[in-house]
Amino acid sequence: MEYTIEIENLVKEYNHDIRALDNVSLKIRKGDVVGYVGPNGSGKTTTIKILTNLFPPTAGHVYINGNDVNKDPKEALCSVGALIEVPGVYDYLTPNEMLTYFGKIYGMPKKDIAHRIKEVLMLVKLSSWEHKKIGSFSTGMQRRLGIAKAILHNPEILILDEPAIGLDPKGIKDVRNLIKQFQKENITVFLSSHLLHEVSETCDTVIFLDKGKVITSDSMENIISRTELKMIEVKFLFPISKEHINYIGTIEGIDSVEKINEHIRLHFDGNPNTSYQILSKLISLGYHVVSFNPITKDLEDYYVSIVGDERGVS
Amino acid sequence: MVVALTIFIPLIFYVIPPAFNIDYAETANEFAQSNLGFVTLLIIISGAVFAGDAVSGEFEKKTGLLLFPTPQRRTSIFVGKFIAALIATFLVVILYYLITLLEIVQIYGLSEISIELLKSFLLAMIYATSVVAIIYFFSSILKRTITSALIGFFLLMMILPIITSVLMFVEVDPWFIVTHSASLITDVLGVGGGFQTGPRGVDLSSFDPDFYIGIGVMAAYTIFFFFVGIIIAKRRKME
Repeated sequence: MEYTIEIENLVKEYNHDIRALDNVSLKIRKGDVVGYVGPNGSGKTTTIKILTNLFPPTAGHVYINGNDVNKDPKEALCSVGALIEVPGVYDYLTPNEMLTYFGKIYGMPKKDIAHRIKEVLMLVKLSSWEHKKIGSFSTGMQRRLGIAKAILHNPEILILDEPAIGLDPKGIKDVRNLIKQFQKENITVFLSSHLLHEVSETCDTVIFLDKGKVITSDSMENIISRTELKMIEVKFLFPISKEHINYIGTIEGIDSVEKINEHIRLHFDGNPNTSYQILSKLISLGYHVVSFNPITKDLEDYYVSIVGDERGVS
Repeated sequence: MVVALTIFIPLIFYVIPPAFNIDYAETANEFAQSNLGFVTLLIIISGAVFAGDAVSGEFEKKTGLLLFPTPQRRTSIFVGKFIAALIATFLVVILYYLITLLEIVQIYGLSEISIELLKSFLLAMIYATSVVAIIYFFSSILKRTITSALIGFFLLMMILPIITSVLMFVEVDPWFIVTHSASLITDVLGVGGGFQTGPRGVDLSSFDPDFYIGIGVMAAYTIFFFFVGIIIAKRRKME
């Protein structure tokens, strides 16, 4: 299988004593949207900076489309768009001027640059600001312009380091929608984020990093199944009496029942078949079931369970 | 600001004399010498403004995070930024000489334009290249743009001229100091003047820079500071 991004035994040491990355190896397939999650100082940004040739690794290799980033950055990075940390802005330029500059840096044909600038500015909702000085932009607008710059040359791979940082809820939603759109266009996205909800909403695969090491990586589907608790929350159309609750507790497959406000929580063995049988039984008994939801831990809880409580999420 | 100064300074020499009923200099070269006495100041200001942030600006403002993860080698990026600063400084020099030239044509006539003025222009361009290289070097080793611009400015405006004066005072020829070589810009006009005798009766004119050595010194400063600057800029890490 061909991988778009391959990281082999990556090691990064600072001042010979701080090991920021410790033998990190990853393989990312074309079209994958991968979340890269870890606490502050876990090595996420270090990985991304090596991936984008901002500095070399102490040991190991990073390949993008088979090209070693450190040895052949020109070839490796031509298909990469990157937004790293919170970059500065050329506040004396307008988006049109800045993107024209980067279009030339990416070697885009002159006639394509103007057309593509219109497209990307529309995508990030900055069309009406095309000829205004970037210095007057809000943080969110600057962030969106950074994304516009990253996708200007139609990259196959997008490397986004905390793309939602500094954005308001609407801005975060816009970024999430953009990432979903990139996913549809089969763009490989490598995304580091401290917003685990965003990762769970947008990524196919999640890689958890701690103290410079990959702790685990798995598909979002598998992670979600692992986060499911052996509980189902059921809501009924009408309030339910204590007698009925006791009766429901006797249904086969249900271990216990508890009433929480207007709904009940059923404890069971966690098996999907049991869940199906319970729902069928409730319907056949004439209960007006409005909702029937397995309860899951959120990604934060899962993350804390694998990384440990004492280290915050970043 | 730089463009405003470039237009304003030569205009002073054109507007002030008639305003105070003072005659213009007798010859076109004398007029040019007074005018061009300020071109080195303008070159240094221009170099500080345009080259001061060439490298440090990308790190200080973190715009390097946008610029460096691109399929361009760092060397190409930094050479490009050097050339950009150089072109901007060249434009300032060209504008200054153009205004001076127009004033000469207006006052003395077209026939008074001398080949020495062309030599002076070419020397100013060579000096501009060395100034941009020196300030570019500071930009590549220092973290802050303002520091690199100020250190470059004070080095060229004060420190090197002071060292030159001290060396001349102790009767050492300061041929190797780039700001000393820059005096060729006005010296080539062939108009004497200024203090030619030092405090102990030393003939300071014996320390006038040699034309070819002066060009060599400016070229040497350019090559040294440009290449060292590029090497340091390339190795600098975007932490």
